[in-house]
Amino acid sequence: MARLELDGVSKHYGDFYAAREVTLDVAEGEFLVLLGPSGCGKTTTLRAIAGFVEPSAGTVRIGGKDVTRLPPWKRNTGLVFQNYALFPHLTVAQNVAFGLEMRKVSKADAATKVNEALRLVRLDHLGDRLPRQLSGGQQQRVALARALVFRPDVLLLDEPLSNLDAKLRNEVRVEIRSLQQRLGITTVMVTHDQEEALTMADRLVVMSEGKVRQVGSQRDLYERPADRFVAGFVGRSSFLEGHMSGDTLTTPGGLAIKCARKIAGEAVVALRPERVFVGTEPVTTADNSFPGEVEFVSYMGGLIDIHVRLSEHDQVIAQVPNHDGSVLPAVGDRVHVGWAPTSAVFPAEHNGMDG
Amino acid sequence: MAATLSDEGPRGGALIFSASTLIGPATAIVALGVIGPLLILLRYSLNDFDPRLLMVEAFTAKNYVTFFTDAYYLGVFFTTVRVALICTAICLVLGFPLAYLLARTQTRFKNLLIIGVVIPLFVGNAVRAAGWMTLFGSRGFLSVTLMDLGITTEPTEIMFTELAVIIGIIAVNLPYMVLTLQSVLEGINRNLEEAAFSLGAAPVTMFVRVLWPLALPGIAAGTILTFILAMNAYATPVLLGGPEFRMMAPLVYSQFQLNNWPFAAAVAFLLMGTTLLLTIAASLATRQRFRG
Amino acid sequence: MSLARSDAPAAGGLLPDRWRLGRWLFKGVALVAFLYILTPLIFITWLSFYAQEIPSYPPEGYSLNWYGQALNNERFLKAFLLSAQLGVVATLIGLAVALPASLGIVRLRFRGRGTVNNLLLMPLIVPGIVLGFALYVFQVEIAIATSWPILGSFGGLVFGHVLLVIPWTVRLITASLVGFDRTLEEAAQNLGANRFTTFRRVTMPAILPGIVAGALFGFVSSFGNLEMSLFLVGPGRTTLPIAILQYLQWKIDPTIAAVSVLQIAIIAVAMLVTDRFVKISRVV
Repeated sequence: MARLELDGVSKHYGDFYAAREVTLDVAEGEFLVLLGPSGCGKTTTLRAIAGFVEPSAGTVRIGGKDVTRLPPWKRNTGLVFQNYALFPHLTVAQNVAFGLEMRKVSKADAATKVNEALRLVRLDHLGDRLPRQLSGGQQQRVALARALVFRPDVLLLDEPLSNLDAKLRNEVRVEIRSLQQRLGITTVMVTHDQEEALTMADRLVVMSEGKVRQVGSQRDLYERPADRFVAGFVGRSSFLEGHMSGDTLTTPGGLAIKCARKIAGEAVVALRPERVFVGTEPVTTADNSFPGEVEFVSYMGGLIDIHVRLSEHDQVIAQVPNHDGSVLPAVGDRVHVGWAPTSAVFPAEHNGMDG
Repeated sequence: MAATLSDEGPRGGALIFSASTLIGPATAIVALGVIGPLLILLRYSLNDFDPRLLMVEAFTAKNYVTFFTDAYYLGVFFTTVRVALICTAICLVLGFPLAYLLARTQTRFKNLLIIGVVIPLFVGNAVRAAGWMTLFGSRGFLSVTLMDLGITTEPTEIMFTELAVIIGIIAVNLPYMVLTLQSVLEGINRNLEEAAFSLGAAPVTMFVRVLWPLALPGIAAGTILTFILAMNAYATPVLLGGPEFRMMAPLVYSQFQLNNWPFAAAVAFLLMGTTLLLTIAASLATRQRFRG
Repeated sequence: MSLARSDAPAAGGLLPDRWRLGRWLFKGVALVAFLYILTPLIFITWLSFYAQEIPSYPPEGYSLNWYGQALNNERFLKAFLLSAQLGVVATLIGLAVALPASLGIVRLRFRGRGTVNNLLLMPLIVPGIVLGFALYVFQVEIAIATSWPILGSFGGLVFGHVLLVIPWTVRLITASLVGFDRTLEEAAQNLGANRFTTFRRVTMPAILPGIVAGALFGFVSSFGNLEMSLFLVGPGRTTLPIAILQYLQWKIDPTIAAVSVLQIAIIAVAMLVTDRFVKISRVV
């Protein structure tokens, strides 16, 4: 358990930057999630913390101590691999005991700790099995026990849930999170699954193209995305592009959209679907109200997505709750959509990859 | 081959022939060409030999007894085993790092490196022995260079010594060891090594606790293969060991040329038997350790 | 945030000195092993360019004459042709029996499957000198029993070499069949291909690398075989490895070096060409 700091960590291979000036400060006991599409640098960052990637620049500190030049085996981090990487020739108990053995813990002491760790993940009855005799979920828990048993300073999770089926994933999420909180262990998890990230993290880091795009709480990211990439990657957004002068953005399709923030030049507005109102009359409560035609309706049970075309160039998605007796618009219906000017707007050059 | 075949049902795929049609010809050729001849050879080894009448029909263990009671033949036997053991051990030590790097490298040159290892394999032992001959001759590169550097004053005589044979056989067998180990190491997920590192194992510990046990079946296979090849080396000892140096395979051929077929057959069987015996012992030993 | 740092690689590696030394030692041993493997080929190539006939170092000069000598040497030329002929015939026969056998071993479940597989790989395990001798006495017995002049015939030699080709082809073809995704065959049949078409259009192309590699390895092991041929060549016939061995037992000179280099070159070209179709690193 310790504070983890990354200060300007970069890693480049020739001209290619896998990570660029990554700066993070993870508090003791905090659960930080690195979120991003594949190739965004999140795994490189995790491996730099574990010691498998030597940063081209920057420092990594664990518990205030500079570990940038320390080899992996001297770092005291517990790493859970995506494919678990359980030693196939060792039993479950031997796998879990491995880290203790490396730390020269006495046999008797190790046996107790192994048992404790296996009980923590509810596998104490399977200590004598070989990894291949376990199910995917059980292997995952062994990997977790193996990484936790020696009380690492930092727990590192590399897409730990991606090899589990959907139902199991939800259970394990809760399990890992409560275990982490109970042990109060500083944790960094890498994932590309935003739902996973949102449900587990204390704080999230959104990365793309090797760079940190935004650091913040779930709410920060959703309500105040730093750029178009984050707005598209965390939650859903419809984007309307255009030219801004004063507080009005004019799209190529001729819509004049009022915004709360002023940006000179090309800009883009990001609309959360549930913040877009749909009605048969102009939306008088919102500053922005435009007529349009329903292009597509997708019925998802509790919620309904309505795709509305506002002009040749502009389309928005509105998400409405499926109340008792709601009348569903049909494709081709003329409707009005509206939204508040507080929706996020960014300069167009902040354009990341579309998530 | 009596085969009770059961097609795999709906997944029978492209097969419309019976098992015996498919495997029959190859099996017949190998059975006829290997098992039959070996049985005849075994029978020959129990025959008697007369310098005038050559092979005489008999049923005697005389040839085997002669081999194990004659100091010269025993010497040949122990020389062969010794040379094979030394060569195999050195092949393992030299071969492992190269195999590991080949297995883990991601450079574009990987294929070229592997071709560099594979080509000598196909070049023929006699040609490679010739390479060593130019290096080892009394007026060859090594001897002359050593004298030029003032390290020796006399020409170095390596040709026609056991050392020359050992050096030659290692060069012949090393590619086999490297390729066998490489394919096994490639099958071991790199994450396992990293897992060991992240759990606090330094490289040597990681090697002992993770890589070695996981690679053991492959190490055993490579070791056994190189050992068999070393035991049965022919061209290398003939060319680099010279007429005085004898190993088992050249002994078989020279006895054959002396027309003593029964004795040559007995030596051939002893060679094959020893190889098989040591091979089985080695594979049993590694299997035991792998379980333990 | 003042993060204006240079991106130049940090001085000093990730590992402490002790480990860095170990890593260099490890790489050094690997390099030594690699050079060791190539050393004899380098030296024989060097010798082939010596000006003088006696292989004493240092060379008095360099010349290409010996390549002319090698190419005009009737004995080596005939031996080369025999070896090439033998290799091609043996490989074709070996492939013809090994391909169906591999299919049977991988695709069918029958009793004794493992035994058959082991039997087919057996010629690799039996020492060459023993197998050659055994085949020789076998042919002696056949000749005595049937007065069929098989002993020392080209047919007898081919039979022996087919035994060398079979294990390589079976090994590499079964390997590629095992790695073949059979849902592709199901997809082809779902699209309307019958079993034969499926095999020709889907299965064959997928396992072709294995077949090519098997054929190459089979050919080369036949071409380079010495021990078995020693027993089976009849009087007045020599294969290239035997010709080289006999010459070397007599003397070593730049002519034999040139012959060797030509052989190395042919094999290297064959390997590089094959590598364009099948990555050799994936089949050996």
